[in-house]
Amino acid sequence: MSFRGKAAIIGIGELPSRRTIPGMSTAGLLAQAARLAIEDAHISKDEVDGLVTEGGSVFPGFAAEYLGIRPRFGTGVSMMGASGATAVLLAAMAVQNGLASNVLVVMGQARNPAIAAEGEGGANPATEFDFPYGPAAGANSGYAQVYKRHMDRYGTTQEQMARVAVNERANAQGNENAVFNGQPITYDDVIGSRYVNYPLRLLECVMPCAGAAALIVTTAERAKAGLNRPAYMLGGGTAVDGLSGMMRPELTVTPVARSAPTAFAMSGYAPKDVQFAQFYDAYTIIHAVSLEDAGIVPKGEIGPFFAETDTTYNGTFPINTDGGQLSGGQPGSAGGLRHVVEAARQIMGKAGVRQIERNDLGLVNGNGGMSSVMCTLVLGSANAL
Amino acid sequence: MTSEYRRPVPRPTMNPELTAPFWAGTKRHELWLQNCKPCGKFIFYPREACPECWAHGDDLVWTKASGTGRVHSYTVVYQPAHPAFGEFMPQAQVLIELDEGVRMVGNMVDVSSEEFRADPAVLPVNQRVEAVFEDVTPEWTLIKWRRVEEDPVPGSDTAPTENPWANDPRYN
Repeated sequence: MSFRGKAAIIGIGELPSRRTIPGMSTAGLLAQAARLAIEDAHISKDEVDGLVTEGGSVFPGFAAEYLGIRPRFGTGVSMMGASGATAVLLAAMAVQNGLASNVLVVMGQARNPAIAAEGEGGANPATEFDFPYGPAAGANSGYAQVYKRHMDRYGTTQEQMARVAVNERANAQGNENAVFNGQPITYDDVIGSRYVNYPLRLLECVMPCAGAAALIVTTAERAKAGLNRPAYMLGGGTAVDGLSGMMRPELTVTPVARSAPTAFAMSGYAPKDVQFAQFYDAYTIIHAVSLEDAGIVPKGEIGPFFAETDTTYNGTFPINTDGGQLSGGQPGSAGGLRHVVEAARQIMGKAGVRQIERNDLGLVNGNGGMSSVMCTLVLGSANAL
Repeated sequence: MTSEYRRPVPRPTMNPELTAPFWAGTKRHELWLQNCKPCGKFIFYPREACPECWAHGDDLVWTKASGTGRVHSYTVVYQPAHPAFGEFMPQAQVLIELDEGVRMVGNMVDVSSEEFRADPAVLPVNQRVEAVFEDVTPEWTLIKWRRVEEDPVPGSDTAPTENPWANDPRYN
């Protein structure tokens, strides 16, 4: 069950350590070290399908963008000085579980006086190539561009996307923890709300909140002996793409198109088997596109799906049964964790007035960094084992 | 154009030395890109390593680009991240795909706030565009975009293109 003897290091790369390396950025140094490592391993760049960085200074989505790779396993480790060793531990776990075949672990810093004022973590091409053109706050601009291209490419309408917000708000009425509990909205409210970033309207965007969420993971043996009906981990997968839309091969396709197949393969199930979904929903559009990429509906057909499907907890395919983040609120990273908590709650049968009946197999998706990093999980009851 | 320009100017935080040739180009009202000699790909934003093949150093050569491309997508921004844009709202933040295959963010110079306010869908995706150079301060020249005539434009809000995944077995 452990990775003992199941994972190995096959190539190494290292640059000379100097007080500073003039003319080089951190990202540039990472690229050089990475190249040395794949040359030593006698593998090609295209065979790198996993990536672990020091997450506090180098976000994996940015590293993937700079390096031009699209790994199917990726994470950033924020363990200060223990990050290097921990990264290798995670890489071994990924390989052991079939999440990746060749994981690049790469760390470094430039200490370049020309960028010292920014701090290494603040070095960002957006300050140079985006900010002069008046971007919106947060991620609005990037997601609105995905929205616009999805409309253009597949005929998706703002009216169809409004249904996402309406249905989630209905679900929030069954959740006293939701920030918009007690504040139902109508379709006309969504379509009538002002633009923040055409095509995105105000009620299609998430509300930052305070809050927290937590859960406990244990072994199947201990779960069986416990008092709760367990929510078993059946499958999982991650995938990484470039941080900025500048670099994505296709704006309307997210890394879920690669994380979900990995998760489904591990679980032994297919999209058609899924009974309910808890999907990251900072914006209507990214929630919708992620469901497409997970295979819940064919690519480009999520608009008609929302127009025709009751996705409330009383509906035929319940989605974000707690109101999601759009109507539940986004307490930082807990907003994403809460999707897992709600999936477990439904499987455990603890969802109260919003308890769904078909609760044996749920699909969860987490999204970060302008959809550059995704994690998809398949959770199920004992009946799904 | 004047010293009163209040909107953000480019702030090179990645590697100013590396990106300097790009901005020197815009000052001459030219668009320059890195080109990777080993694999032939163009690169933007500027990098120390080719994202296609990880070549670096002298293998990456600055080359004058066409300055033409298409609107890949866009958004009309009503609430900017910086208050100095307030009086220019709403304005489009466009993602341009250059004929060289790389994409960059910009603004349109020939579609006014009034036009976007009247119809935010006024700018078709895939609209053909060309670069315009704005000397915003004595130090900085920004690349912006204007529409150029071309017919017919494939893809628009009124004519969705064929779903490229229609025959993908994963979805069918």
